[in-house]
Amino acid sequence: MLAIANVTKTFNPGTPNEVRALRNVSLVLENGSFLIIIGTNGSGKSTLLNAVAGSFYADSGSLTLAGQTITRWPEHRRAKLIGRVFQNPFSGTAPSMSIAENLAMAAHRGRPRGFGWALNQRLKSELRDRIRSLNMGLEDRIDNAIGTLSGGQRQALTLLMASWLKPELLLLDEHTAALDPKSADQVIRLTHEIIQRDKLTTLMVTHSMQQAVHLGDRIVMMHRGQVLHDLQGAERARVRPEDLLKRFDDVRRREQLDPTVAEMLQRNYI
Amino acid sequence: MTLLIGATTIGLILALLALGVYLSFRIFNFPDITADGSITLGAAVTATLLVHHVSPALATLAGFGAGVLAGMATGLLHTKFKINSLLSGILVMTALYSVNLHVMGKSNVPLLNETTLASQAEGLGMKWLHLGVDAELHVFGWTVGLRDAATLLAMLLLVAGLGLLLYLFFRTNLGTAMRATGDNPQMIRALGVSVDFIIILGLALSNGLIALAGSLLAQYQGFADVQMGIGMVVWGLASVIIGEALVGSSRIGLLITGAVIGSVLFRLLVAIALRWGLNPNDLKLITAAFVFVALVAPSLLRKLKPAPQPKPSEA
Ligand SMILES: Nc1ncnc2c1ncn2[C@@H]1O[C@H](COP(=O)(O)OP(=O)(O)O)[C@@H](O)[C@H]1O
Ligand SMILES: [Mg+2]
Repeated sequence: MLAIANVTKTFNPGTPNEVRALRNVSLVLENGSFLIIIGTNGSGKSTLLNAVAGSFYADSGSLTLAGQTITRWPEHRRAKLIGRVFQNPFSGTAPSMSIAENLAMAAHRGRPRGFGWALNQRLKSELRDRIRSLNMGLEDRIDNAIGTLSGGQRQALTLLMASWLKPELLLLDEHTAALDPKSADQVIRLTHEIIQRDKLTTLMVTHSMQQAVHLGDRIVMMHRGQVLHDLQGAERARVRPEDLLKRFDDVRRREQLDPTVAEMLQRNYI
Repeated sequence: MTLLIGATTIGLILALLALGVYLSFRIFNFPDITADGSITLGAAVTATLLVHHVSPALATLAGFGAGVLAGMATGLLHTKFKINSLLSGILVMTALYSVNLHVMGKSNVPLLNETTLASQAEGLGMKWLHLGVDAELHVFGWTVGLRDAATLLAMLLLVAGLGLLLYLFFRTNLGTAMRATGDNPQMIRALGVSVDFIIILGLALSNGLIALAGSLLAQYQGFADVQMGIGMVVWGLASVIIGEALVGSSRIGLLITGAVIGSVLFRLLVAIALRWGLNPNDLKLITAAFVFVALVAPSLLRKLKPAPQPKPSEA
């Protein structure tokens, strides 16, 4: 279970560039639930995932995962519990190292690393099997540098790496946004398969209303660093892509009468 | 012949410097300037201990250990105090100049009659072959002094052994994590590795190797000098670049071998150039120019090639 309680994050506080990226966000994610986060650009979706992963510490609030308070854990320590796929396909793999070496490192996620061989025959044959299940024909190229692969192939492998050791939480941040439609479909199918098979507790950010509606069991819409809508149960089951788009329109309309602008108008003209 | 053997031996000793530079500059993308100080540190510690009649093996090990500490210092400055990588190295290198003077107590420590690893290697060679000090070997029709041959062989074995160890290390879980740290820190952090720890460890190892080079160099040339480290990073880098050009591959094993061969080749070139009358004062200028050319040549060559068809810009 993941519990995000009153988490706040402000970038560049006290400067003209101050951004209140997260304002008192609270969310509880039951074990095995698959939450989709949508929201306009800059609404704080990535910041929320980064705060959970530990890319930086939240200014206030607390984070609990799998019964442990991880609020002050550094990122590499949280990685023991968290598997992660980034938006940029280059972020999740070490380009000059081989496919096999990349996966071998993932097979040690969160474990102490000593002087044992990174690769042995047993691990190699296991990872060949798992790579074969991707149906990308990569199982014969496991000694090739991973940097020679396409974005879609790298994202599929990153997904395999993030879930190699079953994580307590899987974080996916627009992990298909940089891919061509065909690769994106392939990676989404794989995402669905892995999450179903391992019953992974998942936080996934997407900009695709199709994905939001067809994947996951709960939809959260963020706006200006806050949770604006939280669709669960029957409400979630009924929702269609058009409904979500309408909510975006509502936000945009309200945006035109931004509270601070409204306040200023009031002060100056009324 | 003696000239070439001497140059090869120094090239092998400085191959450890090249391996250290390869580790920091290439594996981590960390331009670590500590090397100029740590190579002298290794020499200073070993020479001082030898003068105090510590056994050569122990004195050499201590030189290595001192380099490890110097590397850790640079790593700590960079990771814990968030000081820029170049500046961290410069700070430690500068501080080491004073440390080295304190260790040696003066600016130069000669090793005249001390037992060193070099003299021990000679001794062993003579015992095995039942020969006298001035004995000569005849190899392929050349006459080679026994001491020179014994030292060369010992260095060859040592460098080959350490190179092999480094290669094997890079295939362990820890070593793979270290390579990934330079390749993609974001990724290896997400897989649970403390990038700070790896950087400190890597710089410790790198500077340990570099200090070991200094320690062996002092024993080979018979003195430690506080100035001996100046420009060493660039020499190491030149060796690494020559090695990369020679092997033309990105395989770790080949690159390690390349760095060793590059170092020997570089020393031989220097020896020959000096023999032909190159002013020794110009050596560092020429080395720096060489590294400069090697750094800019690849992109310059790419520009000279016919421009490829303009591609639509990628998102
Ligand atoms: N590291 C950072 N430094 C400064 N500002 C940031 C940083 N990361 C995000 N922001 C700002 O925080 C806000 C939320 O960003 P983000 O979480 O990336 O939005 P999105 O919902 O599009 O993923 C944006 O205004 C963004 O500019
Ligand atoms: Mg984002």
